[in-house]
Amino acid sequence: MVRVPIGQRIRERRRAAGLAQAELAAEVDISPAYLSLIEHDKRYIGGKLLRRIADALDLDLDYLTADHDSRLVEALMELARALGHEELDADTAAGLVGRYPDWARAFIRMHRSLQDATETALALSERLSRDPELMALSHQMLTQITSVRSFSEILAEHEDLEAAERRRFAGIIASESDALTSSARAVIDTLEHSGDTLRPSSPAREVDDFIIDNRNHFPPIEEAATALRSEISGGRLLSADALAERLAECHGIEVSSATGDAGGEPAARRLCLAEGAPVTTVRFRLAQRLCELEIGPAFDELVATAKFSSAEARLRAKRALARYAAGALLFPYAPFYEAAEDLRYDLDGLGARFGASFEQAAHRLVTLRAPGAEGVPFAFLRTDPAGNISKRFSIPGLRMPEFGGACPRWAIYSALTSPDQVVSQFAAMPDGARFLFIARRVTKVATAHGRPQTVFSVMLGCEAHHADRVVYGDAYASRRDSLIARVGFECRSCRREGCEQRAHPPVFRQALREINVAEAGDADSHAQQQNTSGEAHAANGGD
Amino acid sequence: MAEIDPGHLEKGGPPRVLIAEDEPFIVESLTFLLERQGYRVESVRDGAIALDRLAAAPPDLLILDTMIPSENGFDVLRRLRQMPHGAGVPVLVLTAKGQDTDRKQMIDLGADDFVTKPFSNQDLIGRVRRLVGGGADAE
Repeated sequence: MVRVPIGQRIRERRRAAGLAQAELAAEVDISPAYLSLIEHDKRYIGGKLLRRIADALDLDLDYLTADHDSRLVEALMELARALGHEELDADTAAGLVGRYPDWARAFIRMHRSLQDATETALALSERLSRDPELMALSHQMLTQITSVRSFSEILAEHEDLEAAERRRFAGIIASESDALTSSARAVIDTLEHSGDTLRPSSPAREVDDFIIDNRNHFPPIEEAATALRSEISGGRLLSADALAERLAECHGIEVSSATGDAGGEPAARRLCLAEGAPVTTVRFRLAQRLCELEIGPAFDELVATAKFSSAEARLRAKRALARYAAGALLFPYAPFYEAAEDLRYDLDGLGARFGASFEQAAHRLVTLRAPGAEGVPFAFLRTDPAGNISKRFSIPGLRMPEFGGACPRWAIYSALTSPDQVVSQFAAMPDGARFLFIARRVTKVATAHGRPQTVFSVMLGCEAHHADRVVYGDAYASRRDSLIARVGFECRSCRREGCEQRAHPPVFRQALREINVAEAGDADSHAQQQNTSGEAHAANGGD
Repeated sequence: MAEIDPGHLEKGGPPRVLIAEDEPFIVESLTFLLERQGYRVESVRDGAIALDRLAAAPPDLLILDTMIPSENGFDVLRRLRQMPHGAGVPVLVLTAKGQDTDRKQMIDLGADDFVTKPFSNQDLIGRVRRLVGGGADAE
């Protein structure tokens, strides 16, 4: 992992506090020379010394531990690759983040805006090429423009026109110009009524960032959920009946079931669930509603502290927190963490013990980040069969696709063709880093004849050195070469040549040639890959 | 690309251009421009009539819009190339900007050149000349 220089932050803060180097050094019990090395990023520090410095300068430790910053560096590297700036390396990105974090954020925001605009343009282009109404309108406009241009040129270039011809051609220009104005208005009307699909996805990304910045762990919600569970059941696991009873008794909400689509937005005093929905889904929805009603103020406080740019982003964040809270209520932190360690992160085992679906158990594992009781750090990804990513959560070193689509060799895709079983993969990444992937296809059953089944694939990923803590890692204990899947992140930035799954040409042809030359001289070296990718919501709960 | 035939004037009369386009103002401007260049111009506004005219008397150039009623531009071109004298008729296709797929399909069917709407008059005249040679008053 790249280290972000924090020396300048310490130096600036010390100066702002009016402290001489010697004064601060004395206060934190080190020599002024050593502090000078730290301030000039010649020495990297952590642990107790970092905390002492943070305390002495009245700084939040987070500001110096650079967890957020590592993610900024990852995001900067991803955008550098996406833009084809191969020469920008992680060290310079870390330097930028260390010294000017706001500039780094601005770059990332700018790139995301560009990405959103590009996606919107593509969506519009797609619409233009397929929508019969827009096609007809665009053809009409081109015809009108052609007439206006052609007759204008005739008027300008043919001075010998007769007066009658001149009048007629000028009249055509005027009438076609009017018609063109009407056509343009019709296009605007059509696009304005084209629905949400063309809107930029920024609110979703804002919520992603919010969750990632909090490492997908929200102590106030954990505490509130623990208190609520204790009040309802004395701390025991909650059944659907107990949840429904609480909703009825304390909130006057009647739970009912319905055929067809249900479970969405209920009326104020009713919670309508799909008939035949699995018990795991029923419990989750009941818990989510209960949390909205009883822990809602905690959501509001958390959302208020984040700087969301729109009401939509705030609403999305509250929904995400409600799903998080439902997970916290149903799968209480301490017992779930202990069981995870005990069962070595066996998702089926955890599901059986806590009545959780595969996806719910996977989500909850991602949230086990409480200091002192930290589970294996997992990244999370959810995709549909068409490759649309709907939930993602990255960890340092393993970024889940953000600007584009993922490598088709990832286990998350092979899981789609392996129903009802967990698929694991020991994956070698571009920089040689290795990860354990655990994926499974999850389906939401059709509730009536003729309604399609909803299908997703869910994947967890952790660094290879955690594999021994995870039951799925046992198969790869030998680390034999034949067990390792050579994967990338996504095609455009991937340098691997000869990949039969390649969907797009690589962006960095020069880099590819250099790599191939290097690899030709090193038979043992593994092909390298790079990547970037698609947009999605951070993993924050699920049903 | 079709061979330019320099011998129209010797064969008798200026080159004959058939325009297959259903937009009346475009037909009017093209007719004005081409007649001013000395070409003989005929126009049809429907694909089926275009095919009848092509079969009866192959022109020296066909200017063909892709989106005309009855038989569209693709069908007209396909069937023209199947006619006994149809292979030698140069065809200049009028397309809309961005219709790359249409363009490729037209090339496969045997189109000789393209003009993209909105076109400039000079560009259009230049392409006509390259395909068919100058009109009666042409330089």
